[in-house]
Amino acid sequence: MKTITFTVNGNPVTLDVREDANLLSVLNDDLELTGAKEGCGAGECGACTVIVDGVAVASCLYPACEADGRQVETVEGLVLASGGLHPLQRAFVDYGAVQCGFCTPGMIMSAKALLDRTPAPSQQEVKVALAGNICRCTGYTQIVQAVLAAAEEMRK
Amino acid sequence: MAAALDYLRPASLAEALSLLSTIEGAQPVAGATDVWVGIRSKKHAPQALVSLKSIPNLRFILPDRDTDAYEGRAEGATGDSGVLLGAATTHGDVEDSAWMKSHFPAVHQACSGVGSRQVRNVATVGGNICNAAPCADSAVGLLLYDATLVVAGPQGERELALSEFFVGPGETRLGPAEILKEIKVPSPGPRTYAWYWKHTRRKGVELPLLGVGARVTLAADGTVDKARISLGVCAPMPTRSYEAEKVLEGQKLTAELAAKAGEVAAANALVRDTWRGRGWYRREMVRVLVPRVIGLSGALS
Repeated sequence: MKTITFTVNGNPVTLDVREDANLLSVLNDDLELTGAKEGCGAGECGACTVIVDGVAVASCLYPACEADGRQVETVEGLVLASGGLHPLQRAFVDYGAVQCGFCTPGMIMSAKALLDRTPAPSQQEVKVALAGNICRCTGYTQIVQAVLAAAEEMRK
Repeated sequence: MAAALDYLRPASLAEALSLLSTIEGAQPVAGATDVWVGIRSKKHAPQALVSLKSIPNLRFILPDRDTDAYEGRAEGATGDSGVLLGAATTHGDVEDSAWMKSHFPAVHQACSGVGSRQVRNVATVGGNICNAAPCADSAVGLLLYDATLVVAGPQGERELALSEFFVGPGETRLGPAEILKEIKVPSPGPRTYAWYWKHTRRKGVELPLLGVGARVTLAADGTVDKARISLGVCAPMPTRSYEAEKVLEGQKLTAELAAKAGEVAAANALVRDTWRGRGWYRREMVRVLVPRVIGLSGALS
């Protein structure tokens, strides 16, 4: 076991993790943050996407030990202090970009990582940023529309 | 997963080298994206992973010189500067670098097509090379530019040509206690045109059926001074098609000459059948794609 300290959604945490644990299992099991999902476990589906030090990563492939000293953001951190939904979450609801919901936390975190750096992305930039997030329900159109709408809302 | 796995985070290259020499079965990792999948699927069982992520000065894109003011650069051409890449530079770093895009478009193109953005944000160019997959996109891109690898080991540093680095699938000339430190790309010279084409069934998150790179550096009189054709998934490792390069060098570049280079590259490609694609198809596509990629480089116009 190794002791690691990092922040999750702004809150510092210190815990012991197995050397072979991935960040996803620490979030899901140790911290009970179940937003990020395990889909493929091989970095291909994007359901486990979280933001580490400002960039989207596949938390299923991210060694937990490597999170030490870093800042991790998960979908749970998006809900506003007021309790309201983040503009990305709001847009996903408004545009019908959620069906079964399994991919949604990963989609939203990939989209947030994009918008944090590129506040006015083109449709193509949204597609590239979300290429690593698989959705088997929606057909993607509503998701791309939701991200573009949220970007516009966030620029206001 | 092997319960005994240790995960070590040395703070310096010297410390990392010492860990690799003292721990039996230790393996260096940077992004760890591929190694982690291997461990999970029980394909690998290293005793320890030595993470290179906390080592300073392994992640950078350092141009030879500021070339914005360069005069005499032909329209659409590149090649007026070399570059030094830290081995832990991520594919995303290259993707986000406007300088790499304008100076080494084939490397930029190759790195931008690896995995998903989530993977490119952590997976490193050095890792892609050392992992030595026959399809390694960034290696196929870098082969066009005669890149050399600066490798650190217990006895100091040595430099190897990328074109001689690969031994077989997953096998390289890197020693067990050595670490790839830098990738050195010399200035290819003005009037250089290059492109990389990743042939896939879909645009994102896909391994290539074929990777085809082409680079042409023209002499002042317009003939081909230097040609490089690189291929992924056409041999047990990323390779150059020396035969196709010979067809191009010293000649006036025409569409017919590019097509001939494609014929020769196809005839010499060591393609094989895999579940992703059949050998005959790959050979046919080498013939088609080599001239197409030469065209995409802009060298023909």
